[in-house]
Amino acid sequence: MAAGIHAGLSLKDARSALPGLLTEQIDRESDAAALLALADWMVRFSPLVCTDGNDGLLLETTGCDHLFGGEAGMAAALSVRVAEAGYGHRLAFAGTPGAAWALARTVAEDGAPVILPPGAERTGLAALPVWALRLSGTVLTLLRRFGLTRIGQLYGIDRKALSRRFQSREAVEAVMLRLDQALGVRAEPFAPLRAPPDYAARLPCPEPLSDSAGISEGLSRLTEELCAKLSAHGLGAQGFVFHAFRSDGETRSLTVNMARPVRKPAHILRLFRERLDRIDPGFGIDLLLLEALRTAPMEAGSQPLSADLAMTITDLGMLSALSDRIQARLGEGRVMIIQPEARHTPDMAERRVPFTGQLPEDTPPPPDTLPGLRPIRMLDRPEPIDAVAEVPDGPPLRFVWRRVVRRVVKADGPERIAPEWWTHLPTPGGGAQAVPRARDYYRVEDEHGHRYWIFREGLYDDGRGNHPDWFMQGLLA
Amino acid sequence: MDIATLKARGLIRPVTAAPTQPDAFPFGLGSHGVHEVAETAYGHWAAATGFVLGMLHPTQKGACLWICQSNVSRDAGHIPAAALQQMTGGREPRLCIVVHKSAEALWSAEEGIMSGAVRHVVVELEEADFTATRRLALASEKHGVPVTLLLPHTCSGATAAATRWRVGTQLSAMNRHDPRAPGQPRYRAVLERCRSAPAAVGQAFDLEWNDETLSLHMVSGMAAGPAAPHPAPSFATRHGHQRRAG
Repeated sequence: MAAGIHAGLSLKDARSALPGLLTEQIDRESDAAALLALADWMVRFSPLVCTDGNDGLLLETTGCDHLFGGEAGMAAALSVRVAEAGYGHRLAFAGTPGAAWALARTVAEDGAPVILPPGAERTGLAALPVWALRLSGTVLTLLRRFGLTRIGQLYGIDRKALSRRFQSREAVEAVMLRLDQALGVRAEPFAPLRAPPDYAARLPCPEPLSDSAGISEGLSRLTEELCAKLSAHGLGAQGFVFHAFRSDGETRSLTVNMARPVRKPAHILRLFRERLDRIDPGFGIDLLLLEALRTAPMEAGSQPLSADLAMTITDLGMLSALSDRIQARLGEGRVMIIQPEARHTPDMAERRVPFTGQLPEDTPPPPDTLPGLRPIRMLDRPEPIDAVAEVPDGPPLRFVWRRVVRRVVKADGPERIAPEWWTHLPTPGGGAQAVPRARDYYRVEDEHGHRYWIFREGLYDDGRGNHPDWFMQGLLA
Repeated sequence: MDIATLKARGLIRPVTAAPTQPDAFPFGLGSHGVHEVAETAYGHWAAATGFVLGMLHPTQKGACLWICQSNVSRDAGHIPAAALQQMTGGREPRLCIVVHKSAEALWSAEEGIMSGAVRHVVVELEEADFTATRRLALASEKHGVPVTLLLPHTCSGATAAATRWRVGTQLSAMNRHDPRAPGQPRYRAVLERCRSAPAAVGQAFDLEWNDETLSLHMVSGMAAGPAAPHPAPSFATRHGHQRRAG
């Protein structure tokens, strides 16, 4: 500043003013990422945090400051933490986001936070320059032309008079909106980065934790506490997030998901234990936080003593617990159930869906599942085969599948499965779509006793393409 | 009301599985302990699957945990729910897990045994060593959950499983309604290893699937095709009729 260097100066001018100037390319993306990480870390002070521009953080501290002994104590704790992490900062507390913004950017200095008591915005902001109202450049120019440089000068001006002078309705509205927001006359929306959790438990550590035994012990205490809270409200949660705040400003988080709402500490700890060693304590962890996500009421029924006396044979709770344990270790979406689908094509008649604590409804089987009609192993996708048939509409005499010639000795069929014409309706724009073809399925057996389920896609004279192709769909029992 | 009355009315039952003779067919397969079922040669995977499904205990109710290594399902396909219904008759829920490594499959199997939520664990995998099978055998013994390992033809060596079967397919039985169509599936299962009855090792069992009783029957002779050869109409005449009709 003393050498006349300020923001907006070109690099050439700055260099000529100060030849020994050290410069570095600005990296906006990394800065934004660092700001987001810092915002995440601020959760230790308040659950509602959002970023402000590319260099500010906004914390909703209502109801949080008493945990640190008032706003002064909170400001001191925040300053120490942020300074330890190596960031220069200016801090202001006020009753409205606008007032806090203005104070932090004008009055506050590094290490000297400003605290404006609630209700004192009018007097506290009067002496500040108008640019502290978060106005755009054109509006500021207009205000300067009228000689309005301090926020206090705007208080006494009649709004109608201002709009007459400005000639621009948007500019007047911008000034009035920002002024009202700063004074708390109009509400300002606050969009936190993360929705606050419904249920959470926190454990500040007087001594930073540096080993996994300490983290594990802290986690089990938090789990007990959170489960007691959930249990008091008759709830369970389907997800738990564990945050470990390191003293150097980094955060490590672990998430576990469940198929059904749970609140059993042993089960939750078991799922966390699979991945607890991924938390690197670094120079020490001084705050642990456990959040419960997707809470839902739990039906707390008594368990039958013996499975023989149960109404249903399958205990969904135990099945979900098994699925949770497997997915915590092997990854999400590994445990699946088979869901029947109302489709014509056999390879689409069922779908594998992730197990979500519910089994498919007990529907009666479709009429075509007579014994022996469907393969015992269905290939993931039909594999093309080279087939030689005696007559166009008959089963093949021999075919080549996976490079081995197989001679058919017994055959049964065809079972014609019509295509789903409704999935291939012509598009309004006249787009050319492949015309679906009927499939003729045959059950064949080769000379070695292998039984196959093969099909011919299309008929010879259906006029829907070239010669039909043969495919292997699956292996029969 | 004394115990005998309760038992007679079916209100109480022994918690443990019904006693089976471990020294007779099927040597405990599907009812208790760890068993291996391997294919005789490449391509007999369907027969091995059919044998396992035929041996699933029909009286056992409850969810089945089916673990499959992705390589196996890519090569041999998956088991559709329709096939499971055809073969076992029941509509018991099945939890499927797809894993990439054998170790993951065996770990999941052990978890399943210990969970107490499933009645049967079936694992399709590429290889299983002695240590892993021993762990499974101990867990299975402790929790009373039978485990069946479906292995490819390459499996060999000593494991801790109670039995090892080699299953291959055979020409199907004669179809009474249409002599040219495949009939009931038939398999040949050879007992390769057996802990409870070492004398039975090497015995071969010819089995035929019965779709009415939903079980595998032992058959004496394997007659392929009709007993007396007779000139049958060719495919052309059979299907030519259909073609005219259509």
